[in-house]
Amino acid sequence: MDNLNDLRSLWHTANTDRLPGAGEMLRLVKGFRSQKLRNKWLIIVASIVLAGIMVFAMLLGHFELVATYLGGSLMAVACLLLAITNIRSLKRFYQLEDCSNLEFVAFIEKTRQNQQRYYQKTMRAIMLLLAIGWLLYLYEPARAHGGWLYVLYGGILLYLAIMWFYVRPRNFKRNAQKLDQIQAKLEKITEQLK
Amino acid sequence: MIPFEEIYERYAPQIYRVCLGYTNDPAQAQDLVQETFISVWKGLSGFRQEAQLGTWIFRIATNHCLRALEVDKRMPKAELPFDLAQTVEVSQETKLQLLYQFIAELEETERIIISLELEGLPQADMAAIVGLTHGNIRIRVHRIKEKLTKKFKAHGQFE
Repeated sequence: MDNLNDLRSLWHTANTDRLPGAGEMLRLVKGFRSQKLRNKWLIIVASIVLAGIMVFAMLLGHFELVATYLGGSLMAVACLLLAITNIRSLKRFYQLEDCSNLEFVAFIEKTRQNQQRYYQKTMRAIMLLLAIGWLLYLYEPARAHGGWLYVLYGGILLYLAIMWFYVRPRNFKRNAQKLDQIQAKLEKITEQLK
Repeated sequence: MIPFEEIYERYAPQIYRVCLGYTNDPAQAQDLVQETFISVWKGLSGFRQEAQLGTWIFRIATNHCLRALEVDKRMPKAELPFDLAQTVEVSQETKLQLLYQFIAELEETERIIISLELEGLPQADMAAIVGLTHGNIRIRVHRIKEKLTKKFKAHGQFE
């Protein structure tokens, strides 16, 4: 090699035969369904349906205690909050395509901040609303029927305690590490684009 | 509207080489080509020709490269790709492997810029893809070429 002009011709000697043909790629792209997006859609639909069921139960049920209505309402609000958070995140996914690398890195940084806020605040609020709502809602039937409903109520309390004090902090720690790594990488790339 | 198959035939080899320049990993480059054309397929009906088709596709591809934020874990910087340029002579293959190794040692955006440059894209298009000014791209290309020259010279490849 005499000079860098030869690099371009060298670059073009890379073998691209391993790429699938156009027909095969068309079959692949048509069959592609994003798992992440599908999960988000499932969460949105399930949350809205659950919120609807709770509202329906509040309207049709004849409960004695205000706590039951309060519990149902809290659960419905938590479900709606979960749906709204996921809808906003979906919107960002769909808005993503035609932007420069510089804009894209800024977009990813914004997404990272949103994820961080979700794990630090929104998720905590949703879990708190759901937990309190669940306990308030089930208090009336447990008090009225006793017996195995007390056991169920105790079981739910135990489940919520495990979720709140063990599962949530563990997930948060794992996601926080991942987000910190992404942030470090983003800062490095952003610095390169200045 | 150009049919998808025609777009793929025209741009897939270019996108593959750029992704390979970024990752230095043929399997990951192939994954990135697939992700790029999934995005092209989804966005093609909404593509309003505000940008040139090629610029749009290269933007998608390079953004997918940047999005592969965990890429460093898989990027074999110390090892050379073994299945490139199988049909060319050995010395050519070694040079190509050296080129990919040297590009892999550059920073992320430098990898993108030099890959687009070697692919032959006009610097104005590169500026639109990366999001820097034309002048800035010109300076960076010059600097990256200097870096590569040093690396090749250190391996006795340039006179």
